[in-house]
Amino acid sequence: MGTRPVSAPALDTVLTGLAQDEATGSLRVGKEGTVYLVRGRVSYVDCAATPGVEELLCGSGRIGAAGIRHARQEAGPGGDGGALLVSRGVLSRGELEFCVLSATLDAAFFLLTPRTLRTRFRAGDAHWLGVHWFFDVPGLLRECARRRARLERAWPSAELDARPVTPLRRIPGTHALLTRLQWELLLAADSAATPVELARRLGHPAYSTLLAVRELAAAGLLATAPAAARTAPDEQPHEQPDKQPDKQLGEQQAALPRRTPRPPTAPVADAVTDVKLLLRVRDALEAL
Amino acid sequence: MIGIEDCLSEAMSIPGALGAILVDHTSGMPVAAKGIADPGRAAAGLSGAYRATLDGVATASEETSLRVEDVIVTTGTSYHLVRPMEMMFDGPLLLCVRLDVERANLALARLRLRAITNELVAS
Repeated sequence: MGTRPVSAPALDTVLTGLAQDEATGSLRVGKEGTVYLVRGRVSYVDCAATPGVEELLCGSGRIGAAGIRHARQEAGPGGDGGALLVSRGVLSRGELEFCVLSATLDAAFFLLTPRTLRTRFRAGDAHWLGVHWFFDVPGLLRECARRRARLERAWPSAELDARPVTPLRRIPGTHALLTRLQWELLLAADSAATPVELARRLGHPAYSTLLAVRELAAAGLLATAPAAARTAPDEQPHEQPDKQPDKQLGEQQAALPRRTPRPPTAPVADAVTDVKLLLRVRDALEAL
Repeated sequence: MIGIEDCLSEAMSIPGALGAILVDHTSGMPVAAKGIADPGRAAAGLSGAYRATLDGVATASEETSLRVEDVIVTTGTSYHLVRPMEMMFDGPLLLCVRLDVERANLALARLRLRAITNELVAS
């Protein structure tokens, strides 16, 4: 129920204002990232949580970290590092544009969530790659919202977004159809790394990774919390994570709430105990 | 070597082309479009059609790993050509063209589309 401090306007308000002023420069958002604008349009966004163009290029094996550093130094402030990389044959112009577009959307998705954060604008500041693609601010915010809706459609729970990715040891059906990214994810998942950490490790955009994780969850291939709340008609996988000790017993309890839970003992054993008890009672009575 | 905008212009220069759109398949986002009334809807539809085709063909196919060159759908009035391009870290990116069935030459259009996508991602 908190009221927003008047001094710090919401992030989208700040961006919309810069777009209207046709501002050129960089907007630092908290400690998490930066939005670069050219005449009111967004040319690049970087975010600490997502791999930038540099990481994507290194991850694809096209260029090493040292190569990136050299290109960056050579381009200098206000230079066109992207054009330099293209002229060196690291990637094609189409790939560079797609790379910038992809990294920008990925960073925007995580950075430009509806919230209030301290921002600082530096007029005239530019990204070392230069300008290779534009987004208008409303379009960028709309695309972020569309991507959020897309995630919800794939699997309507944020449960696995920040948890370590844990594949099931045995799949629920007889076969599974995987995309390339899903395959890479399942191989890299070590039950310790979260989707965003895996994205960085594999050199894929964080959003694509998040989407792949949700799709894997929807296909029933990942360990999730007890699925009782969801109405999944498919049969549940038999191997559940450890924190779900005995699903069968749990369901029984829910159906018959008044019966006190007790360890399941076989009726034969009960009968034997009863006979022994009766014999002891009889012996005792006879002894009187 | 061409960029994203040029690639769409080139696709529109294929004889009989009515509209062209570049779709990011993973997110279902229209990257750029020409001659398409509602790029958002077209991107979602084409991305869905490509996914369904891929899944269906993968299930039906005897091949152990499948690579789709292009998808052709013929309707009463037009051809829809969808050509996937594997990008280096994400993808694929789909180049989709709608062609007038009366004016277009399907074989030629396929060849042109292949040449355009090769130029876009060639380094």
